[in-house]
Amino acid sequence: MARAHDVLQGTLDLIVLKALSWGPMHGFGLSRWIQHTTDDVLQVEEGSLYPALYRMENRGWIKADWALTENGRRAKYYKLTAAGRRQLVAESASWDAVSGAIAKIMVARRPA
Amino acid sequence: MSDDSAPAWRRYLRLTRDDSAGDVDEELAFHIQSAVDEYLASGMTLDAARDAARRRFGDVDRTRKTLYTLSHQRERRMERSEWLSTLKQDVVFGMRQLRKSPAFTIVAVLTLALGIGANSAIFSVVYNVLLKPLPYRNADRVVRLSQANGRDTMWSIPFGNYEAWRTQARDLAAVGATWGARNLTLTGMGDPEPVLVILASAGYWKAVSLPPLVGRYFTEDEDRFGAEPVAVLSEAMWRTRFAADPSIVGRIITISWRPTRIVGVAPAGYVMQPPRELMWMPLAPEPARLTDYKDHELTVYALLAPGVTASSAAAHLAQIDKPLAEANPHSGYDGRILAEPLVDTIVGDQRTNLYTLLGAVGLVLLIACGNIANLLLARASVRRGEIAIRGALGASRERIVRQLLVESVLLALCGALLGLFVAYVGMRFLVTGPVDIPRLQDTTLNLPVLGFTLVVAVLCSVVFGLVPALRAARMDLQQTLRDGGRDARGAVRERLRAALVIAEMCIAQVLLIGAGLLLRSSQMAQSVPPGFDTNNLLGVSVGLPSARYKESSTHQATFEQLSQAIASVPGVKTVAYAQVAPIYGRGWNWTAFREGSDTHDAGATTADMRGVSSTYFSTLGMRLIRGRAFTSADGADAPPVAIVSRGLAIKLFGSEDVVGRRISNGSAEKPQWKEIVGVADDVHGNGLREDPFPALYMPFAQFSNPSTTFLIRGSVPVTTLLPQIRRAVAGVDPLLPLARVRTFQEAIDRLQAVPRFNTWLLGLLGLTGLVLAVVGVYGVISYFVTQRSHEIGVRLALGASGSAVRKLIVRQGLVLAGAGIAVGIPLALVATRLLQSMMFGISARDPLTYGAVAAILGIVAVAASYIPARRATRIDPLEALRHS
Repeated sequence: MARAHDVLQGTLDLIVLKALSWGPMHGFGLSRWIQHTTDDVLQVEEGSLYPALYRMENRGWIKADWALTENGRRAKYYKLTAAGRRQLVAESASWDAVSGAIAKIMVARRPA
Repeated sequence: MSDDSAPAWRRYLRLTRDDSAGDVDEELAFHIQSAVDEYLASGMTLDAARDAARRRFGDVDRTRKTLYTLSHQRERRMERSEWLSTLKQDVVFGMRQLRKSPAFTIVAVLTLALGIGANSAIFSVVYNVLLKPLPYRNADRVVRLSQANGRDTMWSIPFGNYEAWRTQARDLAAVGATWGARNLTLTGMGDPEPVLVILASAGYWKAVSLPPLVGRYFTEDEDRFGAEPVAVLSEAMWRTRFAADPSIVGRIITISWRPTRIVGVAPAGYVMQPPRELMWMPLAPEPARLTDYKDHELTVYALLAPGVTASSAAAHLAQIDKPLAEANPHSGYDGRILAEPLVDTIVGDQRTNLYTLLGAVGLVLLIACGNIANLLLARASVRRGEIAIRGALGASRERIVRQLLVESVLLALCGALLGLFVAYVGMRFLVTGPVDIPRLQDTTLNLPVLGFTLVVAVLCSVVFGLVPALRAARMDLQQTLRDGGRDARGAVRERLRAALVIAEMCIAQVLLIGAGLLLRSSQMAQSVPPGFDTNNLLGVSVGLPSARYKESSTHQATFEQLSQAIASVPGVKTVAYAQVAPIYGRGWNWTAFREGSDTHDAGATTADMRGVSSTYFSTLGMRLIRGRAFTSADGADAPPVAIVSRGLAIKLFGSEDVVGRRISNGSAEKPQWKEIVGVADDVHGNGLREDPFPALYMPFAQFSNPSTTFLIRGSVPVTTLLPQIRRAVAGVDPLLPLARVRTFQEAIDRLQAVPRFNTWLLGLLGLTGLVLAVVGVYGVISYFVTQRSHEIGVRLALGASGSAVRKLIVRQGLVLAGAGIAVGIPLALVATRLLQSMMFGISARDPLTYGAVAAILGIVAVAASYIPARRATRIDPLEALRHS
């Protein structure tokens, strides 16, 4: 199996926002969701996931609440806020623009 | 025991407060545990699973630390926003409370504003005039030198002494001198006009030193007799007369018909008061003058060398002077030199005035603070009920105190804002005061002062708002609610408030007495007869330029011509001329010795000498007590004669008849003898408050001078004759400008300007203090009525008449006033002793003033009590009884 690539730095926020747009998740679940959804291609460095989550909470994009898991354990669930939703839209648009630009470069022919 | 699960005891912390560190631990522990579970489910052993989970995570401890920091940040931010939102609540609530009692708020804010504003404005003036250091380089080492003569200090220094000091003094870094301010004629720029010129030595600019605005100052070469004339303009002259011409240096103008080159412009710091448009030209003394040790002409400034004290420098200069004085005795000089710091000589005589005003303003501030305190104390009493209810509903003590504090601060800020406005307006008004107060016009609002008074007022508000707040927060809620919010233990507080008001009345009394004394002084001064008739008398100065009037014989002749030309103007009654007119200035110092007296005894008196025309005494309306006036026979070649003032005659000859006696200048080598031909009345030449100076008059021809002041008495309002007078002068010489044109009435008023200004200000402050004190009385009596409404209701129910109740209340007001007056009188007696120097014609214990002020206080106290008294009579006895 190909080695899992580490998630690019600037895109972690986008990924988290998108993940949470489907519903609240705790940190562990988030990390496994990313791995699963990308078919093991992308792997979040867990040491940077939590700081990112805390920073995003400080900026008001996500909100944290303690709740019980199915197993009855206490976990901190993160939820998207209205501001977070707006941020998600903005970052998606930005991502589309950037990835489109890179795609153009990849198919470009050598200049004459 | 793994350290990635939160210690169990941490959970209990969450019961008492948020435990963000514990939360972080718990979250990380959950993650690791979930990962372990995952690996266990895939078949690993527990240990292997743990290792894998931790490896997968990365550096747990470093992440933990980062998360601690991040969550602390978050906590702090949340605390801050919560704090801000409660503050906003408090502010909104506070403003609503203040709006609900508009009378209280308005009075408190106005009182604060008056206190802050008045204080700041006047202190700014005091600072600018008295305290601000002079702008010159090394200003603390600049002194003005003068020679002392027993009691009468003579300021001016003879040329000879100045030259000796300049060349021989070792401990002076620089010595400079200025001579007079005279009007010379500027031609070539439109009509001939007078310009004010001061002659200054090259050293002047080094002693009193500021960098030139443009160009440079005089060099030693230019300061030599016979050198090409040069000039330095004052900044005001450069800007107005020469339109701030940037290429002014090198420009040639014509002064006294000689081409004069402008070499520089001196900054505004050289001119402390109007007139500001003037120029300096080099002193360039004639060689003959440099051996003159008798005529006191020069104002001498010196820059002390570093480390030298003024007194030691003065002593050294006195030593230099000693041989000169021995060789040239009888110059009236007793051998002492005075070296005074420059700042003292500029503002010295304003000191008492300004400090008195400062003291007065401080007193007004005290009254204002007293009123604020009273208001806040009263309000606290009234709000006890409300505060008790809030406490009962669950407000924490801190919250209540904080809310009350916010209210006090809001009040203080409003007052302070308004106070800033008052300060600005007050300062602009003060700056339009008399021009004779140096540096007054340059006053700006002094920020440190404003800050200080702001702080004082805010502190007062906060302290007096806080004290009842703290007391209220500590009170027994149950008891207060049961009392219906009334202040059962208010007796102590009421005595405090009464004491405050009595103190205020006391202070107001002191202020008013001070103002009253000054007012009466002014009146007394006004009623002093000046010694001559000031009605409809015009003074006009004319200076003959030396270029066209070289011979001194032409001076007299020209002035006679001018005199006749002016006299021929219809409407002019009489014309005279004198070197220096009374009130305009002092004459020359001349020490007169009676014939036959030993040259060293006390039979000598310094007299104020001036040359006058033969019509002088008749034009001025001065009486000749004995002898005759001068005639045309008393010419330059005739025997020297003099007319003395009555004061001089008595000083020199006692009660003997002086007509025909002789006096001399006491000099051995060059004795001048004069025969006395007449005695004239004393004249208050220096102002109505000063004793008349012994005066000596000489015929103009015998003491000729190129400049003179014409005294013109009109039979019609004399200012209307001015155009014709100008034409008459132009008829004799079209290039002669007229200067210092003003009536004697104006001149005398100007002398009174400073004391009148002081009286006005002190009166204003006294009135302000009185108004504030009266408001205080009203407040206390009003409150008294409210508190006693039960008792009053009982009285009314028992049949007391309305007027009896009124009398009861008004008597309370009178008691307050009476106590204030009683305590205030001894205080006033002490305080007014400080004003002694400003008073004229009355003593500090003038009973009329004291009595009048006491009466005023009594009347206003009664008036202030009357309104609450009327309110008392309208109390419904049933209501009052029900609220017992």
